[in-house]
Amino acid sequence: MSGTDNDKDGASAFVPSRRTVLVFGVAAASTVVTVRPALAQTAGSILNCEIPVPGPQAGGSYVAQDGSLVAPGTQGAAPPLTRPLRGEEVKSLLRNGTSPAGVDPQSAQAYANYIRRLQAGMSGFTCYASLQMPR
Amino acid sequence: MAGPVFHADPEAAISSIALDGLILLFHAPSGMTHIVAPPAPEILAALRLGPADAGELLARLRAWYDFEGDEAADAIEARLDELEAAGLVRRA
Amino acid sequence: MKHQFAVQIGPVAFRIGSAWAAPLDALARLYAGYPAPADGICDFTVRLEPEKPWRRWLRPSVAIRGDYILPDAAPMALGHGLLAAEMGMNLQMALGQKRYLLLHASSVEKDGRALIMTGESGAGKSTLAALLGERGWRLMGDEFALLDLATGVLLPFPRAVSLKNGAIEVMEAEVAPDRFGPRLCGTPKGDIRHMRPAADALARMGEGAKPALILFPRFGSAAAVRGVGAAEIFMRLTQSSTNYVSLGRRGFDALTGLIHAVPALAIDYPDTDTAVGLIDDFQRELAA
Repeated sequence: MSGTDNDKDGASAFVPSRRTVLVFGVAAASTVVTVRPALAQTAGSILNCEIPVPGPQAGGSYVAQDGSLVAPGTQGAAPPLTRPLRGEEVKSLLRNGTSPAGVDPQSAQAYANYIRRLQAGMSGFTCYASLQMPR
Repeated sequence: MAGPVFHADPEAAISSIALDGLILLFHAPSGMTHIVAPPAPEILAALRLGPADAGELLARLRAWYDFEGDEAADAIEARLDELEAAGLVRRA
Repeated sequence: MKHQFAVQIGPVAFRIGSAWAAPLDALARLYAGYPAPADGICDFTVRLEPEKPWRRWLRPSVAIRGDYILPDAAPMALGHGLLAAEMGMNLQMALGQKRYLLLHASSVEKDGRALIMTGESGAGKSTLAALLGERGWRLMGDEFALLDLATGVLLPFPRAVSLKNGAIEVMEAEVAPDRFGPRLCGTPKGDIRHMRPAADALARMGEGAKPALILFPRFGSAAAVRGVGAAEIFMRLTQSSTNYVSLGRRGFDALTGLIHAVPALAIDYPDTDTAVGLIDDFQRELAA
């Protein structure tokens, strides 16, 4: 720290100086960013991960085009994958639309949409989160 | 304007460091770090004078600052929502 | 477990257990010359186990377990057991390290000044650190940098360097063959070959250094250097730390202390020799 006298208590930022112009901006502009745990981002680079489609809690369900889970045998829906997708397969599927080996393009899109809908706590979410790095 | 009344934690609950025109806040009660831009720090400072609704806050800020733009009334509610979501202000 | 290996890497002691001998034999060869944990007590345990009991023999498949585990971890082929052990050790650090601020970064040291390099996967931070470690710098670590919360000193964590794909040939041209592990082909991250750091990195693994410069290297463009604002450095480093949030105020104080004390630069580089030249220039400026 530079040691100037106005940051000695670390609170100088809150001492309002009179007649300074305060810019409010527009309502939609965000002014608060919260630091989130970065574990998920690092996890993908240090670990080999995979995503079951669908997760074991929904074993047997088919995957509709929009990624939702539907009853087995539903017309137009993709059957469950017999093996989990590897992180690298998911990455190229989500980024470039590349179908994993042995998967037809239409089913691949359904699986991609399923993965995009994963939420915290669901099987595969940590892996998915680790692939979300803006890189 | 009789909107919800907000209050903020005392200054001692927050460590702040200015960086490049932005401010890093460490909020001790939650253990979370936030990076905030104006007018969020000014709103927090004004709220430390005591609980206030958006209208009262605007009045306090107007005593300290000139405002740029006409959107202050809309913007302050959006800013309060953000600060509430971050856990930096709470409804009284 | 049937087979065991324990090793001290910087301030951290690991015990690795395995249902198979082969991964630990490879690990012991790779970590030849590393001390055993001083008092026999280990900070972290990794276990390599069959994914299912019968998978110990039938198409052997290694599950990475330990004190800390992550959901969604995929099992690995037994032939990649050395990589599984390394990943298991990294995972324990990422999930369990609470004594230091852990940055996903490589680091090297010269004349008591430490250089921290961080960036996305593929930016070359690991290759650059490995190369600098052969060219007059001391390699402190290729994957994790440990910042002491109380003193702000950077501690070495000189585990074996994990070289990927093109970086393997770069280092094979510089380093004696006996410092390499086996080339692991077709892993989920491509080809991987581990390399033991130079002797001084091992001999001085207990010796920290003050951070002097933070670099954000990026491979692939013409050489360019630009400054990075303090807020951006802060954000990037929080995103490269696995334990910043869980350390609470200690993490905030350590990271803001680092940012106030140490300048940061982003560099683009077209090839590793150019990057090494740039970094040596920075080092001379810091020393001047």
